[in-house]
Amino acid sequence: MKHVLRRGGFFLLTLWAALTLNFFIPRFMPGDPVNALRDRTRGKVSEATLQQMLSSFGFKPNQNLGQQYLDYLGNMLSGHWGISIGQALGEPVTSIIGQALPWTLGLVGITTVLAFGLGTLIGVVAGWKRGGRLDAILPPLFVVTSALPYFWVALLLILMFSVWTGGLLPSDFNYDTSLVPGLSPGFIGSVLQHAVLPAATLLITSIGGWILTMRNNMITTLAEDYVRMGRAKGLPARKVMYGYAARNAFLPNLSGFAMSLGFVISGAILIEYVFNYPGLGYLLYSAVQNVDYPLMQTLFMLFTVAVLVAVLICDLATAWLDPRVRAKE
Amino acid sequence: MTVLQGAAAVTPKPRRSVGRGLWRALRGNRKAMAGSVILLIFLVISAFPGLFTSVSDPNALAFPPRLGPSSGHLLGTTGLGQDVYSQLIYGTRQSLIIAVVAGFFATVLSVLIGVSAAYLGGVMDDLLSMLTNVALVIPAFPLIVILAKYAGHGSLTVLLVVLVVTGWAYGANQMRAQALSLRNRDFLESARVRGERRAYIIVFEVLPTMTSLIVANFLGAALYSVLSAAGLQFLGLGDPNSSSWGTMLYWAQNQQALQTGAPLWSIAPGLCVALLGVAFALMNYAFDEIGNPALRPVKAKERKVRAAVAAKAAAAGPPEAVVSQDIALQDAADTDAPLLQVRGLTVEYATARGSSVAVAGVDLDVRRGEFLGVVGESGCGKSTLLFAIARLLSAPASTTSGSVTFKGSNLVAMTEKQLNVLRWRDYSVVMQSAMNALNPVRTIGAQFKDAIEAHADYGSEKIRERSVEVLQLVGIDPVHLKSYPHQLSGGMRQRAMIAMALLFTPDLVIMDEPTSALDVVAQRSLMVQIKELQQLLGFAVIFVTHDMSLVSRFSDRLVVMYAGQVVETGPTRTVFDTPSHPYSKGLLDAFPSIHGERVELKGIPGSPPDLGNPPSGCRFNPRCPVVQERCRSQEPELYQIGELGQVKARCLLLTPDNEPQESRSLEVNS
Repeated sequence: MKHVLRRGGFFLLTLWAALTLNFFIPRFMPGDPVNALRDRTRGKVSEATLQQMLSSFGFKPNQNLGQQYLDYLGNMLSGHWGISIGQALGEPVTSIIGQALPWTLGLVGITTVLAFGLGTLIGVVAGWKRGGRLDAILPPLFVVTSALPYFWVALLLILMFSVWTGGLLPSDFNYDTSLVPGLSPGFIGSVLQHAVLPAATLLITSIGGWILTMRNNMITTLAEDYVRMGRAKGLPARKVMYGYAARNAFLPNLSGFAMSLGFVISGAILIEYVFNYPGLGYLLYSAVQNVDYPLMQTLFMLFTVAVLVAVLICDLATAWLDPRVRAKE
Repeated sequence: MTVLQGAAAVTPKPRRSVGRGLWRALRGNRKAMAGSVILLIFLVISAFPGLFTSVSDPNALAFPPRLGPSSGHLLGTTGLGQDVYSQLIYGTRQSLIIAVVAGFFATVLSVLIGVSAAYLGGVMDDLLSMLTNVALVIPAFPLIVILAKYAGHGSLTVLLVVLVVTGWAYGANQMRAQALSLRNRDFLESARVRGERRAYIIVFEVLPTMTSLIVANFLGAALYSVLSAAGLQFLGLGDPNSSSWGTMLYWAQNQQALQTGAPLWSIAPGLCVALLGVAFALMNYAFDEIGNPALRPVKAKERKVRAAVAAKAAAAGPPEAVVSQDIALQDAADTDAPLLQVRGLTVEYATARGSSVAVAGVDLDVRRGEFLGVVGESGCGKSTLLFAIARLLSAPASTTSGSVTFKGSNLVAMTEKQLNVLRWRDYSVVMQSAMNALNPVRTIGAQFKDAIEAHADYGSEKIRERSVEVLQLVGIDPVHLKSYPHQLSGGMRQRAMIAMALLFTPDLVIMDEPTSALDVVAQRSLMVQIKELQQLLGFAVIFVTHDMSLVSRFSDRLVVMYAGQVVETGPTRTVFDTPSHPYSKGLLDAFPSIHGERVELKGIPGSPPDLGNPPSGCRFNPRCPVVQERCRSQEPELYQIGELGQVKARCLLLTPDNEPQESRSLEVNS
């Protein structure tokens, strides 16, 4: 119980810290956000509308900072995220995010889970066949792939599979815009086609880390007495490999998974930018380009929440898989 | 050892030795070398860019745009009319500066926060750890993007500050963990006793031992900085007029380099970023390998030795020795032949220096229902012998010759599949520490079930019944079938493991120091229980221990091992009362006798030899109190001694032609 409270406190604290950063960065960074805003919206909106936008963004220069801060926290937590002052001028932030979210969840979410699962599996086999041919090649290869810049892999893939092959695979946007979105086979096919290259980029750059950590955990675990005991009991090799070795080697990887989500998000921003893929990452890029404070703030909060949720899920999974952790709670 | 000596012994001079050891380890690591070479090349280029290109201002629009590669423009020109190759050369410096400077300050921050948290402890530790964890979870890259934007088109300094602020947390966590583990180490304790100030201890005692982690951390932070900075500049959040790979990438993307026939403009700087990143990643991984040797790839040299050992092992157990898949086990009624007959069993470890013989031609017999004790110091090959008998060795160890005949079949010649039929049904194993030998994430009941299911087709009811039965045999409440290993006490765990070994009431139970993790009282009661179970169920036991007095009351026969060889074997009582080999004598003198009179305990000076290079002649000669000249050259065999020939010992002084006076003088002298 104490453990649960501690974790809960940690989540709240982190969320608060992220929100606070969000609030103070625009106010204390050099360059006046208000002027920037005024420049951006000059001629497009009246002074009155600008004032209204500013206040919806939580910027009320006449109010004291404490009051502004409290209002801002309340708005953020209650989903009053304001309206965009960037490209989609005047559109509510919630609806902009609502359009982009499914694409990122679909592309980045599925690919990340796939990379984690596949990488873990390959790592298990490589560690089990320690000293074999596979184990000799894999580690150096994946040390290299895990250090490659996301965007460079994306550019290479575009060059190879799109530019050189006369547009074999699309390298732009999330579906063929000549199609009408719907559950038609043509549209779904187009969506999948457009996802191939960005997903491959994310997979190539993130799978290496999982393979390496799982292989290394596996090797450490294989030296444990309980693995030898599994053999001594005459269990089938598969049972020893999964039920005794991998089952234990997997546990540290789980907490690593949550922590790595930050890197996945950075990958998502760069990859969606390169492929003009209209997900949350691309949205952050364009919000930053267009000085769209409300959108930026909300996105940053959502990214933090995403990582926190992942941490929470991994916490629960660890407690479910490891009785020693359960005992502590 | 006096107190003063103790202090001197535990106060190492880590500074130089750590650095030198690290250097040697790095030199031998191929990944580290590859990484350093790449890094070195980039360093030279960044220091003397003028040497590598004749273009003096790479940003000037001096050439026609989008030229293909040619001798004049190795990598062609940009869409704006600059030479790609010379831009790359001049861009090296900034990327390196970002990597090194941001990596350095992030590491400093990690060390500062991590080590402070560990050493200040209490509330400060809580606060700093909390800060670290929060910083770890907040997604860094979006934050960098936002920060870079607010800070205006970032100068290099802003970029560096942002990278340091977002890059320290991961390292701080690791620093804290390692510093905590160091806190109570002897050499720090002695520094505190000497009255050194805390700051002194941290700087001169703690940090040097953390060198390897700190360097690895720097490399990780540098990698992170290179990739993040390039990503930021690629997005157009850097200074668009600076000379860097990231800026080149930005312009290339901005001008659609890929689509307009100038792919090298975009691919080449990306490759440079990748190479620099790979250099740091390779070195970083090399440090992981140096810190944990098990992760290292098997070296070619060692691979050769392994292959040679494996070839010998294959020759020792030709597959045709077992005629069919069905192993014809001896009838239980056939009690004439021993249950287990080990002949000439030899185990070799393959190491990079060559192979080392851990068990050298061991012979032993175990009859049905017999309790055989195997004793010897740590490192004399007893456990290796046990695992060789049970066929549980794993690389780099393997059985290279000899046979293990169990109920009429040679285990050495069997495949893993054939062995799995016999394992647990006919012989089972109990290991040293049940804490480590029981799977920590599965219940006792589940682990029993695994074993039963592998060998019998019981229904779930019968599995439960049998599990309850064996637990009750060892006196554990059956409710603990639902318990996990960590929920039981040390003694209970050990009993549970013994219960598991009895699931099929095998003919032979192989026990590797099953009591050594327990306190003396628990040891005794467990021994008594093992003996009772043995008498009740009639299985034979091979019991390995370093504590000779422990087996004195329980074993029927003793095998004394030294340096991989059997040096004495015989009925326990006889060996105890009149040890023949000087080593057995020494072992006996090293443990207090429970019943005997009080005598001064004597150890055996020195330690067991390196099995890769055993002494010539008698292996015990360097430590033997009654050593003679011929012991150093002549290798003794196992000689039969005593009227009944029940005792055998490996000592030249006991050769049949040796004069009896001399053998008697042995007892007097020692």
